[in-house]
Amino acid sequence: MAYNKKYNRGDSTNRGRFKRTFHRRKVCKFCADSSLAIDYKDLRVLKYFTTERGKITPRRISGNCAKHQRQLTVAIKRARNIALLPYTTSIVR
Amino acid sequence: MKHYETVYIINPNLADEAVADIVARFSALIEKSSGVVTKVDEWGKRDLAYDIKKFNKGYYVLMQFCGDPGITVELQRQFGLDDSILKSQTILLSDHADPEALKAEAQAAKAKETVEETETETTSEDEGKDGVQ
Repeated sequence: MAYNKKYNRGDSTNRGRFKRTFHRRKVCKFCADSSLAIDYKDLRVLKYFTTERGKITPRRISGNCAKHQRQLTVAIKRARNIALLPYTTSIVR
Repeated sequence: MKHYETVYIINPNLADEAVADIVARFSALIEKSSGVVTKVDEWGKRDLAYDIKKFNKGYYVLMQFCGDPGITVELQRQFGLDDSILKSQTILLSDHADPEALKAEAQAAKAKETVEETETETTSEDEGKDGVQ
């Protein structure tokens, strides 16, 4: 039975897709946890979604849904404007 | 009435009285322009993420208020006139807000906070007792 399964998979529509990309099922953090609010004053959450350099993590990395990514982007930009988050990290300080 | 939230940064080198004076002055400005201040929260001195006017620290104050759109224009003008304000940001929270309801809500939240604090204190005491046993 196991053999049949394997055989069928190879022969069906997936045939020719030799490159197996690694897929981890990503779920939007904000959708999964409704208690997690997007607020420009909540630095702990915002920092989680920025890189070391202060850039906003892209959706393909963070796995956020479009709606929440949009809200998050606005929140991060607001935080930057009021000097809670850096626009960029300076190398020489 | 619209509900706004403003964060402004005051020069960190000012004396406490001067800071209190500024905070009171801007709250009074809102009241004078027929607005209602629903919340004032002083965050105190914090590090800035980047230098503003050659300061790397600032005294943050958060203020929420209800009012007509003209109020923010006047507020921004006053922020600009005051040299001790490093930076400010006003955002719109909601288009239609009832100031009385918001005030009541804020008070309820405050009451709840104090209750929770006492509750956590008691629970931690209980845990301590369990640990002893």
